[in-house]
Amino acid sequence: MTDIRILLVDDEPDIREIVDVSLGLDREFTTRACASGADALVTAAEWSPSLILLDVMMPLMDGPTTLANLRKNPQTAHIPIVFLTARTQSSEIEHFISLGAQGVLSKPFNPMTLATSVRSYLPPPVTHHAP
Amino acid sequence: MSAKLIKAILLVEDEPGDARLIREMLNEQGSHSTELVHVDCMSAAERHLAECGVDIILLDLGLPDAQGLGAIRRAHAAAPRIPLVVFTGLDDESLAEQALQEGAQDYLIKGQIERRPLLRALRYAAERKRLERLKDEFVSTVSHELRTPLTSITGSLGLLMGNAAGNLPTPMARLLTIAHTNSQRLVRLVNDILDIEKMEAGRVVFNFSRVEVRTLVAQAIEANRGFAEGYGVRIRLEEALAGADVRADPDRLLQVVTNLLSNAIKFSPPDGEVVVAIKKGADVVRVTVRDHGQGIPVDFRPLIFQKFAQADAGDARQKGGTGLGLSIVKQIVDRLSGEVGFADAPGGGTIFHVQLPCWDHVASLAIDPETKPDATRLLLCEDDLDTALTLRAQLRQVGFVTDFAYSVSEALARAEATQYHAILVDIHLPDGDGVSLIVRLRELPQYHDTPIIVVSADTNPERDDLRSSKLNVLDWLNKPVNFDRLVHLLAKSVVRNANRRPRILHVDDDNLVARALGEIADVVTVNSIEAAQRALKAGDFDLAVLDVELAKAASPDLLPELRDSKGNAIPVVVFSAHSANLADDPREQAALAKSHSSIDNLVATVRDRLASRLASVSREMI
Repeated sequence: MTDIRILLVDDEPDIREIVDVSLGLDREFTTRACASGADALVTAAEWSPSLILLDVMMPLMDGPTTLANLRKNPQTAHIPIVFLTARTQSSEIEHFISLGAQGVLSKPFNPMTLATSVRSYLPPPVTHHAP
Repeated sequence: MSAKLIKAILLVEDEPGDARLIREMLNEQGSHSTELVHVDCMSAAERHLAECGVDIILLDLGLPDAQGLGAIRRAHAAAPRIPLVVFTGLDDESLAEQALQEGAQDYLIKGQIERRPLLRALRYAAERKRLERLKDEFVSTVSHELRTPLTSITGSLGLLMGNAAGNLPTPMARLLTIAHTNSQRLVRLVNDILDIEKMEAGRVVFNFSRVEVRTLVAQAIEANRGFAEGYGVRIRLEEALAGADVRADPDRLLQVVTNLLSNAIKFSPPDGEVVVAIKKGADVVRVTVRDHGQGIPVDFRPLIFQKFAQADAGDARQKGGTGLGLSIVKQIVDRLSGEVGFADAPGGGTIFHVQLPCWDHVASLAIDPETKPDATRLLLCEDDLDTALTLRAQLRQVGFVTDFAYSVSEALARAEATQYHAILVDIHLPDGDGVSLIVRLRELPQYHDTPIIVVSADTNPERDDLRSSKLNVLDWLNKPVNFDRLVHLLAKSVVRNANRRPRILHVDDDNLVARALGEIADVVTVNSIEAAQRALKAGDFDLAVLDVELAKAASPDLLPELRDSKGNAIPVVVFSAHSANLADDPREQAALAKSHSSIDNLVATVRDRLASRLASVSREMI
């Protein structure tokens, strides 16, 4: 069975739980959650997720800073990042994309279709093994 | 609040007597720490506001260059966050009322101004403005903060409703449905409030493109079908004209049609029908949405586009509305340069209509119909049609001809087809940003030195990068454009640009001539007609110098092609080894005998012709 690893980074425990259940609806997904950007940097390097779902407004290290730090580390630089955020004005979305995010999903999200949305941001299998 | 709020006052007043009076009142004891700047027209006020911060504006509504509500709008646009107190005439109570609606914080009646009420008005206006700003920030923050718990609530309920945690017993499912539906309504309400707040603060960016109305309406109908079924209502697309394209932001237009549809559905009787039609007029496309409801009560009609307007609050709430839908529709349609309205439908019910400028019409407006040769032609890269039209009208009065480009790709295509004397770039364009447009323009040899002015809605961090970078941007103007400054910049730069080194196409094989001409111009020397044609395609020339033998052979082929990219004929000087009086073509404006001694003569002639040609470019500017 294919293992698609999704790393969720969000400081809200309730949202971590809901995202975990929502993504669990796709049986190929394995989800791990981090409560802070700092945790995410460590977990991403160890676990090599296929995609990172990243909250924007977090204390200490916010989403954009976490993204920048993930990009600096060669082990995590290539991992696609999708922001999951309540800040979804078009200018904000443009800004997130310009930082190098693959996409932006808005909060509140539809929990029954979240996994499908996340899937659409995964790289096609071929580029998976590309150097 | 204390008077500490007000440190700098801008007084905009053209009557010296009135201005002196105000100054005296403010300078009296107790307000010595306040700085008063006095200007006598709106343009000067805009200049001052662009450069200096003030805490309050005192504005006369009868200025030489701005009157009445127009003056308020300009002041508000130049400094949206600065409180405004206006002076009105004794007999103009209604103007005063309108002034308050347009965003002024208070008004004072001229001739009746006294010191204490004046100071009080200033203090209250500053305080009122501060509260408005706090409200805006509060709304924005709260809306975002509300989304976090709402995400958890709607998320949990959504998972339960989707049976992600196993099947639910029926009574429990019913209660959860109520909770789920209402949590979603709360999300809509938060979204709508945020939308309204953003639009009122002018912070919504519209991405204009060509939109096929039928596809978009069909999409909206599809998205609302489930919602309609919930009310037992059918939606029918009655008349769906294909090829009715408008210029709009597709997401925002979808929001407009969706809001009209959901309104029509909510106010339809059970088993009712909502009928949608798309019609095309001369310059507009009209979308109508008809319901078979009870119609809109007469009393309520004037209020219908206002925020939280509901004919019968209980009724609307029962239908799950937020009271913001039509207000959002109105705001969006205004920004799309369109119109929204409603009328009683024959046989009962209401017809709402939205009318938008059709694409072809907007596209045809892009080229300025002014065909005067030698006019200074500008390219305005701006996606807001109303802004573009206003600027064109103003620029026309001072003799400029202005073409529009609504996007980066259009701007590049136009710039390559026509040689513009200067380019104005809005920093936000639908298919890219203005900065990358400028980068690409500068890569084109013919736009290497062309004056480019950036026009932008907000003070942008890129601004400093732009100025210091190699893009050679002349200036960065904030919207609304300070027109005097713009004209000043254009006049200065276009004239200077006209003094650039001229370009000569030299069709001959005589090096001596080429060298002599090289003293006064950039010379491209070619020795065949084919090469000349290639050179003409590659760039503009101010003048052509032709050897007589080549000119004779070339007359039918080359002479018609001796035009610049605007289609204007290039002056031609024919240079001959023999004394020549050869030309039938009146374009051969000077024929000179070729000899070493006459080269100086040739250079003088060429210099003359160039001077008169370049002067025609700059004549209107000086």
